[in-house]
Amino acid sequence: MANKRNTFLLIWIITAVGCLYGFLKYASPKIFQMLMAKDHPMPTPSTLMMWYMIMGVLAGLVYATTSNQKFVDFLSFLLPDRGPLIKSFLRKILFIGFPLLVGWFVYTWAIPGAASPVELRIQHPTLPQEFEKLENPFRQADAETQRKCIEEGKILFQTYCRPCHGSKADGNGPFANSFRLRPINFKDPGTIATVVDNYLFWRIKEGGPGLPSESTPWDSAMPSWKDDLKDDEMWKIIMGEYDTAGVMPRQREKLE
Amino acid sequence: MRNMFKKGFITIVFAVACGGVIGLQYEAVAQSSLLFRTYKREVPQKLSETPEAVAEGKKVYEKRCWYCHGIEGKGDGPAAITMFPKPRNFTRNEYKVRSTTFGSVPTDEDLFRIITSGIEGTAMPFWSTISETERWQVLYYVKTFNEQFKKDATPKVIPVVSVPSTPESVKRGQEIFKEMKCFECHGEDGRGNGPLTVALQTEWNMPYRARDLTEGWNFKGGNTIEDIYRTISTGFNETPMGSYLEKLSDEDRWHVTHYVKSLAKDMASDVVVKVKLFEGGELPSEPLDENWSKSTAVEIPLAGQILVSPRHWAPAIDAIMVRALYNNNEIAFLLEWDDSTNKQEEIFRDAVSLQFPTKIPESLKKPYFAMGDSSGSVNLWSWKAHWQEGFGSVTEAFETEPGVVSELNAKGIKNVAMQPPESQNVTGKGVYQNGRWRVVFKRTLNTEDLKGDIQFEIGKLIPVAFAVWDGSNSDVGGEKSVSSWYYISLEKPVPKTVFIYVLIALIMGASVEMWFIARLRRFPPKLEE
Repeated sequence: MANKRNTFLLIWIITAVGCLYGFLKYASPKIFQMLMAKDHPMPTPSTLMMWYMIMGVLAGLVYATTSNQKFVDFLSFLLPDRGPLIKSFLRKILFIGFPLLVGWFVYTWAIPGAASPVELRIQHPTLPQEFEKLENPFRQADAETQRKCIEEGKILFQTYCRPCHGSKADGNGPFANSFRLRPINFKDPGTIATVVDNYLFWRIKEGGPGLPSESTPWDSAMPSWKDDLKDDEMWKIIMGEYDTAGVMPRQREKLE
Repeated sequence: MRNMFKKGFITIVFAVACGGVIGLQYEAVAQSSLLFRTYKREVPQKLSETPEAVAEGKKVYEKRCWYCHGIEGKGDGPAAITMFPKPRNFTRNEYKVRSTTFGSVPTDEDLFRIITSGIEGTAMPFWSTISETERWQVLYYVKTFNEQFKKDATPKVIPVVSVPSTPESVKRGQEIFKEMKCFECHGEDGRGNGPLTVALQTEWNMPYRARDLTEGWNFKGGNTIEDIYRTISTGFNETPMGSYLEKLSDEDRWHVTHYVKSLAKDMASDVVVKVKLFEGGELPSEPLDENWSKSTAVEIPLAGQILVSPRHWAPAIDAIMVRALYNNNEIAFLLEWDDSTNKQEEIFRDAVSLQFPTKIPESLKKPYFAMGDSSGSVNLWSWKAHWQEGFGSVTEAFETEPGVVSELNAKGIKNVAMQPPESQNVTGKGVYQNGRWRVVFKRTLNTEDLKGDIQFEIGKLIPVAFAVWDGSNSDVGGEKSVSSWYYISLEKPVPKTVFIYVLIALIMGASVEMWFIARLRRFPPKLEE
């Protein structure tokens, strides 16, 4: 096995890791902007960046240790030899650069940065007891009544819910930008499709202020409608809302 | 074998350390550009306009559009009551975003584009979510509401051939903006505050609001130079915005376009307002003080207050700009927002308020963002413009308006109390100039009223929320524009010890390096076999 010796292996690996960093930081946001047809770059999230960099460095080191020959080449770059001038020049840069890099990392860590707020979202607080037993009075009605209820509910939805939740129930109403905890996108299969009618009834009636205490970090901007809408209107809104979003409520499990 | 494991282990630790350090250097970016839509230009192959297509379109219309636009297309759907601007009345030719001459109907492609992208700042959503066929069908149905589409089957399209911007062109555009009296509606600085705009009313008894040209995100149909040129050339049907196709040469229209584009800015939004340490002694107390330029501005989108009755579906103010500075003793805020007029009435006043929790929350739990709740009280700093008979004429010179500053506490919307006179320690002042209010609030970082006042601490995230009232829009009490919680953070100055740490790091880095090289030289790597 007469491997061609590469005495610049260390430099190549450092360059490759550098390229990876450049790609993740500058090229990839642009590429994803193009691929996903967005009007803004899509920056790589910092944790993802961290893991890719870990993988990158690891891959470089794994490559350097694939054979003893390579490992020897990899390390002996750091030893003085009678090689070309460029080699000793790069070596000097490396010697000076390493402590500077360490110093810079420490500097960026030590300067006080503004903390960024942590905001959690609890997906499903438990439905309170008093709402559990309720029944949507219109779900069992004949088809004609149901159709009428859906239509009436849609009108109410478009009037009172649309400003935040949007005409299409996609959480993109004209006021949506102003609430940092954005209004829910009902078309998302992870939202209203996973709960029963009663759950929505509870949320519409009691709103953000009626959330249990374990849910307070929600910052929910959902109003409480109990003073302004009748129960019947809320049930109709729920039917209209499911219809607009194009999803079905979860069906109750039949208990034997 | 053991050696291999050892080597492998060291390698992994090293890689994780390197990767972690490099990766975490990278900071997240602000969310501003994610807030608003971009208008799509491309229009696919046209569907033929057959009676069947129209019939299909009717189905789509009666499933998705009529709630706002009305079953007969009159813009009077049942949901229109909570909308401003009002939905388009299809029986009239009041189409705004067109490529055709003033008074003409839009082309099918124009309608297709608007259905696809919707209109920012209105209730019209983007319908790129329905199929292209459905979009063609529904637009053919919409055309049946107005006879003019039949008579005027091939409206004259104004071509748009882009001319790039130059500083000279912008300057010339500004001159033409004056000569053509654009400022009479759009205002001296383009904030939509011209003297004419407040006098004109639509048939809904709503004011015709001239576009605030500085709010780039609200331009109807887009804010590229092609969009602006198109609007100047075609005008908006049935509005005071006429066509300048014949009044101005093509070249001049491009000059005005470039000037308007230079006025339009993006919304630079962020979640945290960074408050810098001010090193020039006394904090600025005048709204027009040039020291404010040393602070970082954050712009925050506002919505109508829709949480409790009376709900406000038609807010006039949609954004507020916030700046703040602090020194060892005090903190000062500058709040700026565009308002087309400082006209008000006795009960309907221009006003603004800042809201903080009375205590910086230790956990994620904050008081309710709409004026607190029974378990979390808030501290409100309010500024309200003065009102007196005759005040509030639209003037071009700026008006200093000291206003009334007061400090309140609230535990919910129905539980608001003015602080006693001895606890009123916020000072403030407002100025109205060319369509923009600028209000300064100032207070000491700490006060004696520990129960009712927020105590500012350096380096902590302090929740803050905003509310703005526009008197000319009949805003009062709960009818206001609001934001949810944002944060301010008083930035720590860089401590001197940082440089000692860096020095230590440099020395340690160099030592490790030297030890490694020395070891390498003593035991040079050799091939084992």
